[in-house]
Amino acid sequence: MDIPGFISTILWPIKWVVEGLLVLFHTVLAGLGMDPAEGLTWVLSIVGMVLVIRAALIPIFVRQIKSQRKMLEVAPQLKKIQDKYKGKKDQFSREAMSRETMELYKKTGTNPLSSCLPLLLQMPIFFSLFSVLNDAQKGTAGVFWLNSDLALQFGNAKLFGVAPLHESFQQATATGHVAVMIIAVIMVILMTGSQFITQLQIMSRNQSPEAKNSPMFKQQRILLYILPLVFAFSGFSFPLGVMFYWLTSNFWTMGQQFLVIRNMPTPGSEAAKAREARLAKKGKLNIATAADGSVNHVVLEAAKPTQRQQPVGKTRAKKQGEKK
Amino acid sequence: MSSLVATQSVSLVSVIRMIAFGLYLLPRNAAVLLLRGYRAVISPLYGDVCRYYPSCSSYTLQAIQQRGLVLGTALGVYRLVRCHPWAAGGIDDVPPARRQSFRVTRFGFVVASSHGKG
Repeated sequence: MDIPGFISTILWPIKWVVEGLLVLFHTVLAGLGMDPAEGLTWVLSIVGMVLVIRAALIPIFVRQIKSQRKMLEVAPQLKKIQDKYKGKKDQFSREAMSRETMELYKKTGTNPLSSCLPLLLQMPIFFSLFSVLNDAQKGTAGVFWLNSDLALQFGNAKLFGVAPLHESFQQATATGHVAVMIIAVIMVILMTGSQFITQLQIMSRNQSPEAKNSPMFKQQRILLYILPLVFAFSGFSFPLGVMFYWLTSNFWTMGQQFLVIRNMPTPGSEAAKAREARLAKKGKLNIATAADGSVNHVVLEAAKPTQRQQPVGKTRAKKQGEKK
Repeated sequence: MSSLVATQSVSLVSVIRMIAFGLYLLPRNAAVLLLRGYRAVISPLYGDVCRYYPSCSSYTLQAIQQRGLVLGTALGVYRLVRCHPWAAGGIDDVPPARRQSFRVTRFGFVVASSHGKG
């Protein structure tokens, strides 16, 4: 698979980093006494690379959460917009509402969205890993760190001594490596499972009632059941090494999503209500919680009928004031 | 008799014109199909992430519909470059083309404006 010249020039720095991390982990693992030519060593190197890259993206994620907290300031204005378009589900109203919301975010500097860059970064990583694995069979060196010896070693590495990392299910049908097929099938199941859980978490727990009524939500629902097919297809045609990248990445996303939904839910969603209930149980739901922005105005208003604010004694109130 | 020949030749010209226009629109329609596929399958995996309205993929789709494959792709790439975590975001529409001699179907294909189907 040849990536056209100008795209590979753009990808060069990303490839450089990907390769550097891969070789770094491989060197460390080999230094710890693992067999450098063993498939497991290379798989763990891929896992390490993914962990570093995803960890490096955390600041972007934190930034996103911070602006979500800042959204508290604009909650009244946001609610005004939502009320204006309440019950209007036609395409034009939706569009107008999105427009006004975006304009508000921009004006107040509270854009809670993460931008397309993190996604865009993942694709070159995917591509470079793919091309490294693909070229490695021919012993083609990488852009910098991965010399031809290492590339050849990577390409020929076999997981558990039987499943070559560069082989896909499709190729395995020709070469007769049953182990590759079995591992590929297990990974497809794991990938589907983790993605399914991630999506389900977001959809069933972390969406406001308004979002649940949007056509986008229905589309996501349908997608939930198409996904296994997509994964099955990729599991069929992608090399095992690339699949390990994808799987690790999926697991990371699942964990990150779980933590965010638990601690930083979308205001008005089920998860937000669940969080409130948890906090109330511990006796921590009070004005201080609301003031730090983790619970939104809208939520507090919605929760009022079901949940009474516990009266706080004078001394306790003082203590809480100090805490802040 | 002569009038019949005339109408026939006119319709022949219009058919040829239609085909030529269809061919002219082919590259962008191929891209539209690709982008629709992306938006249906891959986009929802990540939910809403774009800091702009319309989102990057929607912007690119519109740009390609209105400006053709080459210019539309260039506009789309430029938008993607601008969509990073430090960008302010907000409303950012495709710069309007000077004139539009076609319409967009519900799916997003670009067809000649005078005909129902292209």
